[in-house]
Order: sequence, then structure tokens, then C-alpha cells
Amino acid sequence: MTLLNSFRTAVLGLSGNKLRAVLTALGVIIGVASVIATLALGNGARAAVESNFRFLGSDQIQIDAQLRFKESSGETKLAGKSMSYEDGLLMPDEVPLVDRVEMTVQTQGKVRQGRVVLDMTIVGTTVDQLATLAQSSQVQPVHWPEGKPLTVEAFLGQGRFFTPAEVSDGAAVCVLGYQTALDLFEGDDPLGQLVWVNRKPCEVIGVVTELETVEAAQRLRSKPNEGFYLPISTAIRNLYANEPSVSITAHVTDQTRMDEAKAQVTNFLRQRHNVVADAEGNYNDDFYLLTKSDVLGAQQEAARTFSLLLTALAVVALIVGGIGIMNVMLVSVTERTREIGVRLAVGARRRDIVSQFLLEAILLSAVSGLLGIASGILAVPLAASLNNGIALLDPTSIPLSFSVALLTGVIFGLYPALRAARLDPIEALRYE
Amino acid sequence: MNAWLIETEELTRTYRVGTTDVHALRGVSMQVASGEFVALMGPSGSGKSTMMHLLGCLDTPTAGRYALESRDVSRLTVDERAYVRNRRIGFVFQTFNLLARLSALDNVMLPLLYRGRVTDAKRRALEALRRVGLEQRAQHRPMELSGGERQRVAIARALITDPALILADEPTGNLDSQTGKEIMQLLIELSTAGRTIIMVTHDASVAASAQRVVHMRDGQIVTG
Ligand SMILES: Nc1ncnc2c1ncn2[C@@H]1O[C@H](COP(=O)(O)OP(=O)(O)O)[C@@H](O)[C@H]1O
Ligand SMILES: [Mg+2]
Repeated sequence: MTLLNSFRTAVLGLSGNKLRAVLTALGVIIGVASVIATLALGNGARAAVESNFRFLGSDQIQIDAQLRFKESSGETKLAGKSMSYEDGLLMPDEVPLVDRVEMTVQTQGKVRQGRVVLDMTIVGTTVDQLATLAQSSQVQPVHWPEGKPLTVEAFLGQGRFFTPAEVSDGAAVCVLGYQTALDLFEGDDPLGQLVWVNRKPCEVIGVVTELETVEAAQRLRSKPNEGFYLPISTAIRNLYANEPSVSITAHVTDQTRMDEAKAQVTNFLRQRHNVVADAEGNYNDDFYLLTKSDVLGAQQEAARTFSLLLTALAVVALIVGGIGIMNVMLVSVTERTREIGVRLAVGARRRDIVSQFLLEAILLSAVSGLLGIASGILAVPLAASLNNGIALLDPTSIPLSFSVALLTGVIFGLYPALRAARLDPIEALRYE
Repeated sequence: MNAWLIETEELTRTYRVGTTDVHALRGVSMQVASGEFVALMGPSGSGKSTMMHLLGCLDTPTAGRYALESRDVSRLTVDERAYVRNRRIGFVFQTFNLLARLSALDNVMLPLLYRGRVTDAKRRALEALRRVGLEQRAQHRPMELSGGERQRVAIARALITDPALILADEPTGNLDSQTGKEIMQLLIELSTAGRTIIMVTHDASVAASAQRVVHMRDGQIVTG
């Protein structure tokens, strides 16, 4: 039999009992939709981590202050120490697995040049600020060719960035964002010029190249070209009255020993901040360590519970759907016993009958699969709303779940098809 | 060359029902020449249908030999028999056995469906329908046809493969006498045109249309 004829025969066979076919299909529809939703959850969790924590390299520990409110004699006060510049400076020497740290402070400040005064965020940083930008993959030089790896040099438009000596000595130098340079100097060459930050002078040594966010959707809101960078020690000396809270990123020498490195950092900070165990042996830490695997783990943990539930649903639904398909096909084979007898009498071989009924089962599961895919795509927002908005349609889940549906059709359609083919033509022709 | 179209030797078919053997055929030897029109008669249970099933390669004999066009077809596999049925044999049943969801045309084309690609299937089906006088009913479903018309469609289906042999088991059994006569007329025409036909019937007047009448009793041929 030719493929086209087989197909026509199968469609005709199915069209005989539409309602029953659709009811049967429900299990497969739910199963396929569940597969799509499950994969969307996993995919969403991964994507959320990727986009929210891009800046965090796998070898990094992000260290932030975690101050607590404390009741004492009727007053609420902040307890604990924030992360200090000195904490960061000492860390590479005191913590064996940490070889270097990056630190930043941020504050609002007034920047003046001639008659232009800008109110903006001032960033005090260590030497690796540009490397951090490059690594974050959130911004890139405008018109950067897709896929070309970002280098630190690519981010520097004019001049140079800070030297380690300038950072540690608190040199009066600064680097400007592309737009900030335009705003302050209105097209004149800013290199070597003086600008005033909260009435303290510093010399412009570099300008960052024009940047745009990698994600086109964010380009309207974000302003990557407004920036004012000082060596962190300069910023602390000139802009702060008290010890500022510093954000620290520690680089670990061996990525396979992240947990060990975290323990070392924790010990180091507990000593520096005088955190001691309470009566039950718990530490009330005033800092918080974060690694990429922590974030991934937490995110995936949340998705996993839900996914497990959906996977169970998918398996049950597919089995129920499969049994439904088998049932419909068995009934169909019985009802059409005479038809099978006629086909055998005019020369159908066993394999012709097998393929006729198998094709019908597959067609049934394919239609159900398509309906399931449609339902699954519609179910993704629902899954997202039940999982903190984290679910993202995984395109590969469509062919995957469709194959699962087809496979269900083959597996559960095979037995009825074989039964049809084993019929004796004489008995079948005599069947009432 | 004097070969028979059909030649059976001591054809035997025994059904096993529980612990007893039912001897449906007890050694039937018979020859049919190409172009003959044979009527098979006999009381109910005498083995006529069993004989037709064996001649039509729907069944295999318990013992004996059956040669169709000088080729032994009594020991073929399931699929080999399907092939012989498809190429060499056309069936006409008492109950028509048309597929209800297919049009007359598609019913007639059915045997060609199991031959892989046949480019002129539709043309041949229309021609077969014209041969039985039903070309204007090609798109009708069996439900929309009278009994006589249904049997004509069935005959067209038997003709489309240009078979060596047409087997008709009580083709007029489900028809009123007038319609039965018309169907017989059609079979006689086909016979006159050279077709080999073996037909089971209870009706002596129907059998009179045949060139030869074979009588059976208790699984054996008594005359003919
Ligand atoms: N499948 C079967 N199983 C058991 N006995 C059968 C079967 N088919 C036919 N028979 C028996 O074989 C004998 C011949 O039957 P059949 O060829 O149908 O006779 P006829 O067509 O002449 O009426 C009968 O006794 C019948 O009961
Ligand atoms: Mg009979």
C-alpha cells in the first residue's frame, strides 16, 4: 500500500468515531502539555539565574553586609558591622583560597566642570571594574559584532583605567562614562582635564567607550553610558564622612573548592566582626555569601518540586492516554472485524493491516499531541504564575513532547494492530 | 497444452472442534478448465463453502493438493496466499461485504490498494463499474445503493484485478428473485466473455445457467 493510501485509510478509520477519539486523546493532551510545562519550569529557572546573576562568575563569592535590626531597651538599632574596605584589603592575604578581591562603593555626588554640574552616582572601584563589566555580559560596546568575545580593552574609549598603585594610594584621578564625558566637556577632549567631585579635584585619565545593553529590550530604560569612576580609596576619602559599606567580590583560586573557600571567608569575617556563637552554637552573621551554584541551587530547588509533580502528572496522563488509545483501537478492531476480513480477502497482507491500525493510533496520538502542545504553550504562563513568574517555554520541548506523544501511540497502538492482523479472514468475514 | 486452470487431488479439510474432528471435505478431486462456469450445489453443511475457501486460498487443506494455473498453492504462507488472492482471485459474497464508509468507486479500487502504486487505479475502477452498469453510482456509499446494485459493485471489485478465477458463494442468496436473475445475467455475460466462475447456489434454476453443475454431499463430490 502506498503511504498516501495508508494515510487516507487511517483518516477515514478515525473519522468514524470522532468523539471517542477526542475523549481518549485527553490523557495524551494533558501528558504532552505537562511535559512542555515541566521543561518550561526548568528552563525558566535556568534563564532567571543566567540573567539575574550573570555578573557572578563561577569562581566568585559575592560578599554583602547583612545587618539586622535589634531591640535593645525599647530602641531599635542596626546590629553588626558592614563590610569595610579593610576587610577586603586583608582578605587575599588572610584567606588561603582567595587570591584577589574586587571592591566597589557607590554614592550620590555632585560632579562639576566649568559651569556644568551633574548630580550622579559615583562609583569607587578597584582596578578590575572594566573586566567586571566585560564579564557581566550585560553591556557591550555599541555595534559590537554578535558572538565576538568581549575584551577589557574594547571597553576603553580613550586614555586608560586605574593602575593598582592609583587604587591603593587614593590618587586624584577619574574615568568617565561616554555620556558623562559629553555632558561635562560638550565635545572637548576631556583627557588631562580637571573635574570636581564634591569640591575635590581629580584628573580625567580615561573615558569608557559608548555602551549599550546586550538585551535590546532593556535599552530604553538603562543608561550604561552615565558613569563616574574613582579609585575606591579616593572615593572613600573624599566622599564619605564615616566608614562606608563596601561590596566585595572574592575570587577563589580553585573552583572545585568553593565550599571550602566559603568556610574560610566566613571564619575570617567572623573574627574581624567579632561574631561569636550563641548558647545554642549558632552564629548570627552580619554578612551574606553568595555563589553562582547557591543561586542555581535555590532556584532549581523551587522548580524541582513543581517539576516533579508535573512529571508524575505527565507520566500518569500519558499512560492513561495510552491505555485510552489502546482501548479505542481494540474497540475499533472489533467493530471492524468484517472490514478486516474483506481487506484480507482482497489481498491485504498482515503488515498492511498492522500498518493501517498502527497509523490510526499514531494519527490519533499526533492530533492529541498537537492539541497538547497548544495547551502546553498556554499553560506556561499558568505554571509561571504558580512558580514566582519563573517559567520559560523551552523550544526543544515541542519536538520532544510531540515525539513522546507519537511514541505513546506506537506503543499502545501496536497490540490492537497486531490483533487485527492475526484475524483469520474466514472468521472475520463471518463476524456479525 | 491441456493444463487445467484448477486441479485438486484428494482435497481434505478437517476442523477440530473440542475433541472431535469435523470432516468438512473428505478427499475432493476436481478439475476446472479456464473459461468454465461451474455451479456448486448440495445440502447445507455438505462442504461447499469450505471448498470455496480452499479454492480461494483463504484457507489451507488438511491434506491433498490444489494447483491453480498449474502451480501448487496448497502449502503457501499467509502472505503468499494474500498475494494469490490479490492477483488471481475475485470474490463475490452472499452479503456483498462492501466497506460502508467507502464510495462504490473506492470499494472497487480496494484490491489495487494492496498492490503498491497503481497509477490508473481510478480509471480501471470506473471501467469495472461501467462493466456492471453502475458508472453513474461511483460516488455513492453502499447505504445509498439497492441490494442488486451493491452486488454489482462487489462484482466490479472482483473484476478490477482481472482475476483468473471468480468465486461466488450464493451471490443471489440475499436478493429477491428478480434482482437475482439480473445478477445471474451479469455473471452469464462475464462467463460468455471468457471468465472462469465457480458459484455456490441452492437454486436449481440458477444452477441451470451454468455449463456444469457439481453436486456435493458430506464433503464429497457426488456428480459432476
Ligand atoms: N470453522 C469451522 N469450524 C468447525 N466446523 C466447521 C467450520 N466451518 C465449517 N464447519 C463444518 O464443516 C461442514 C461444512 O461446512 P460448509 O462448508 O460451510 O458447508 P456448506 O457451505 O455446504 O453449507 C459443516 O459440518 C460445518 O459445520
Ligand atoms: Mg455455505
